[in-house]
Amino acid sequence: MERNDIKTKVLKVISEVLDTEGVVIGEDDNFVFDLGADSMQSLQLVAGFEEEFNIEMDEDKALEVQTVGAAVDFIAQYV
Amino acid sequence: MPDRSALHQANLDKIFTPRSVAIIGANTKKGTVPFDILYSILSGEFNGLILPVSPGKQHIAGIKAYKYVVDIEDPVDLGVIVFPSTVAHMALEQCGQKGIKSVIIISAGFREVGEKGIEREKQLLEIAQKYDISFIGPNCLGLINTDPKVRLNASFARQMPAAGNIGFLSQSGALCTAVLDFAQAKGIGFSKFVSFGNKADISEIDLLYYLMRDEATKAILLYLEEVSDGRALMQAARDIREQSGKPLLIIKSGRTQEGASAAASHTGSLAGSDDICDAAFEQAGILRCDNIEQMFHIATAFAYAPIPESKRVAIITNAGGPGVLTTDAVVRQGLQLARFSEATTKVLKKALPNTANLHNPVDVIGDATADRYEAAMEAALQDENVDGLFVILTPQSMTDIDAIAHQVAAASKKYRKPVYASFMGETDVASGVRILQQNQVPHYTLPESMAKTFAAACRFGELLRKSPGEPTPITGMDVSKAKAILQGAKEREKTYLQEFEAVEVLNAYGIPAPKGALATSPEEAARIAKTIGFPVVLKIQSDDILHKVDVGGVQMNIQSEAEARATYESILSNVRERQPEVEIQGVYVVRQVPPGEEVILGLKQDPSFGPVILFGLGGIFTEIYNDFSLRVAPLTKKEALEMVRQARAYTILASARGRQPKDVNSIVDALLRLSQLAMAHPGIRELDINPLIVLDEGAGCFAVDVKILLNQ
Repeated sequence: MERNDIKTKVLKVISEVLDTEGVVIGEDDNFVFDLGADSMQSLQLVAGFEEEFNIEMDEDKALEVQTVGAAVDFIAQYV
Repeated sequence: MPDRSALHQANLDKIFTPRSVAIIGANTKKGTVPFDILYSILSGEFNGLILPVSPGKQHIAGIKAYKYVVDIEDPVDLGVIVFPSTVAHMALEQCGQKGIKSVIIISAGFREVGEKGIEREKQLLEIAQKYDISFIGPNCLGLINTDPKVRLNASFARQMPAAGNIGFLSQSGALCTAVLDFAQAKGIGFSKFVSFGNKADISEIDLLYYLMRDEATKAILLYLEEVSDGRALMQAARDIREQSGKPLLIIKSGRTQEGASAAASHTGSLAGSDDICDAAFEQAGILRCDNIEQMFHIATAFAYAPIPESKRVAIITNAGGPGVLTTDAVVRQGLQLARFSEATTKVLKKALPNTANLHNPVDVIGDATADRYEAAMEAALQDENVDGLFVILTPQSMTDIDAIAHQVAAASKKYRKPVYASFMGETDVASGVRILQQNQVPHYTLPESMAKTFAAACRFGELLRKSPGEPTPITGMDVSKAKAILQGAKEREKTYLQEFEAVEVLNAYGIPAPKGALATSPEEAARIAKTIGFPVVLKIQSDDILHKVDVGGVQMNIQSEAEARATYESILSNVRERQPEVEIQGVYVVRQVPPGEEVILGLKQDPSFGPVILFGLGGIFTEIYNDFSLRVAPLTKKEALEMVRQARAYTILASARGRQPKDVNSIVDALLRLSQLAMAHPGIRELDINPLIVLDEGAGCFAVDVKILLNQ
């Protein structure tokens, strides 16, 4: 899968979990600091990505991912 | 880098009295720290602007929220960071960009979680230094300022405590919540309440100096799990006492003796870390408490009542038994029962029934009314021989508890003398106790606690009145000579000095040791012995032998040259038989000192307090009797004398059972010189002079055996 396609799907999941409709999200945006994800939402994001991409990620490592761009790169390893 | 301590003092003003607070990382989920902090500030009725920063939220609890702290148009005095540790540094960076100098970092996940956390904490400190920010935390509960003009509860404690005169600082956040609950039940109020967590930037020392300046604080309480800088803590306590007259009470947890490790010296094994902590606190006038209850017993006494002028107390009771119990406690605590003047006795006789006891303790009898208590209290408090009053009440069927409580409160307000009360019991006296608490009368369920607290207040009063003692100038020291010897050993990679070297170090500092010299042959031993005079002692000298007696390396009472020659040979033969591999430098021939009392002088480097000096009963009894006193160096002459007097060995030295008194002044002089040595040579890890033989008054003392252990 192309990186851009992964990014589109990642943004879709983020929008659903964090309710960021209408918010411009950049690759450098930090899930917590810029997008306001709390600990529960961070878990929901990981679950959302797994479902969206039909993959199973290393949860501890996934939760260490801090930015949108890093999430795209992290998921790219699995798809 | 600017002086961070001065910066902290300036920034602490805004930490405690901000006009606007940004809660950075706030959210809307009840039961989470980010929400509860915001809720605490709101429900505490903060007298200022509240500014939640929460990406993705337009508003929280009806208040406009900002995505970033830099988006806030108004100036922000205080930032409270509640973001997770992974992004706390980003929030702090933005605080710097916004010009916020005062910050509390509540977030956990730093030093307490290991390597990664230590790195994060370092990062926070770098950002703080870049922007001249001062921060409390991380990993803390937050702080509370009860000042009605501020009313800031920037914490996740469940309640805002009542306003009061006690400043409380704690390294443990969880303990804070328990303390608040305890204090609420006892009607105790606080001026400032701070959980300082990992103290990565602002330390307890900075907070102590802030509370020293704080007019609302009369007594300062500190809970510590580790003493990071013992000397700074001692200095802060002295400054606080001398500049503000406020007492500092500390609970230092971890009383177990893990610090007294397998030490190679007597001093090392005697002086455990907690003993040193105890001694250092006492030396600095810090009141060490064993538990929260005792801490608040003493704190309320200081916060509510004047400090006693002396130990003379009057007791007023409505029951004989408790009067006797209280008298026992008074005597046990070293207090004195005041002797009433004739005038007082006359007044009491007039006011009390025939069956009453007119002498101290005054028994106003079981049917005493509030009027009778009032008359007795008035008489006692007007008496010049009385410096404090204990009012005891037992709940009898005719006792009007509330009315008497009001009278006690009135008497305590009327006179500049401390009035403590003990309404004994629980259920029946509850309303009376509440009246006492509301009127800030120190109350104790048990008279024993009351007497113990009064004694602690007296000791603090004595400290306030006495001068700390001037540093005593010492002459006749050759610092460079000692330094050269220690440097030589270090270059040889030795961890201890041989005795002849150690004696030279003592000599360089003017600590008397018997004459001696190193012999490398039997003939030389005989020659040295003849020169210094008989009898002599011969001791093996080897870099590889620390405990000479254990290898047959010491022989005493050598009376002739022939004996000296023979003993030299026999010592070498003993040692070679037991430890054939050791390298022997020679035999130390030393003049034998006449008999005297044996004491120990010691030195130990403590990681928190630095060099510590020990004095105690010496010789073979050192560890058996465990009789010693400790002080942190440098010592004043007054402190050195106190050290000697504090040990039980002093009774032996000061002419016990009609014996000739020993030369205590020479011990004091040796302690002062040892203290100077300790300060000048931090490379000395432990030092024992054991025994120091003390001769009769005026004849001096001699360091007969000395061990100096060096840092690795």
